[in-house]
Amino acid sequence: MVKSFFWASSARHSTTAAASMAVSLPMVRPLGYLKAMTPRLVPPQICWRRHLSTIYSQKPERVPLPANLPKEFYSQLPERLRPDNEPRKIDVIPPPPSACSVCKDPVATVTASQLAILDPTGERKALFDYRRNPRSVKAGDILRVTFKSGDPFSGVCLGIRLRGIDTSFLLRNQLTRVGVEMWIKVFSPNVGSVEIVQRTEKRKRRARLYYMRKPEHDMGSVENIVQNYLRQKSALTGQPISKSRGR
Amino acid sequence: MIQLKTMVNCIDNSGAAVVECIKVLRKKGPARIGDRIVVVVQKQRNFGPESGTNSGIANKVRRGDIRHAVVVRARKEIQRRDGSVIKFDDNACVLINKSGDPIGTRLNGIVGAELRNKHWSKILSLAPLHL
Repeated sequence: MVKSFFWASSARHSTTAAASMAVSLPMVRPLGYLKAMTPRLVPPQICWRRHLSTIYSQKPERVPLPANLPKEFYSQLPERLRPDNEPRKIDVIPPPPSACSVCKDPVATVTASQLAILDPTGERKALFDYRRNPRSVKAGDILRVTFKSGDPFSGVCLGIRLRGIDTSFLLRNQLTRVGVEMWIKVFSPNVGSVEIVQRTEKRKRRARLYYMRKPEHDMGSVENIVQNYLRQKSALTGQPISKSRGR
Repeated sequence: MIQLKTMVNCIDNSGAAVVECIKVLRKKGPARIGDRIVVVVQKQRNFGPESGTNSGIANKVRRGDIRHAVVVRARKEIQRRDGSVIKFDDNACVLINKSGDPIGTRLNGIVGAELRNKHWSKILSLAPLHL
């Protein structure tokens, strides 16, 4: 009998033989390959009859590998069946350290570092922090901003946007009888100074005074108020008014 | 944002008071401060009852004239490089000839400082104020 390592090749033959044995006796397969010697025992027309359909047979059981199989036989086996075959080692690269562990809140860190450069004393921040500082700029105040380039701009503050380093405020004025509005960044290095010319008499009940764009609420030009303020300031400090057009 | 059919104030002494934009030049989309546009004069400025004959001020343009112009103020806010945003309450322009020189000799009104970047220095020098 031929012995295979994997499948008992004879198993299928024996089951078919068993199944056909019930039907007809001559299908019994002779033991020990006697059939080869006695071909005339089986009628030829039965021997050569073939069917297209396959008789169901159970899946043959697996024949285990013999224990202590010598190494030199391994090459005859497919690789996955060799006893020394192990699953391939996959290198697992650890994930890079999370940026969250390096810096919890990068926006706050950047804001703080930029504020340290642009506003080291914290004076400018306090001037516009209207939620916490009661003495800060409020909507409705008249402000005068002097840029580093020298030209001033003054106007009514229509609103303050508190956005960390991007904090800005909106000034409105009328120059040559044309309304002009300007959003100015509080911490911009171009801004030299911000002065409060006049505070609003009554606290405004709106955060944004956009209604002042309408003609019935427009303050018009604040030039006179600013000129008065500059005159008073120069009288107090004893310095002449810097040459500017009061805008 | 000045585009086709926008009525723009004319702030020079060329004689036009209100002009209508009919084309934005060298640009896709609406014109902003410093852009060149083509306009039709819609309303003339009248310098007194007997203007044009004996007084020195004559209307250099007439109603229906097609001229080039530069936008000097715009209602649409414009952001500067330093983050500040500027906005005027009206749209205004200055008439120019084909070579880019202003037709009028005086401007009455503030103009945007963006003209400097666009090399309209002649208009800037005529303007009483720029911002």
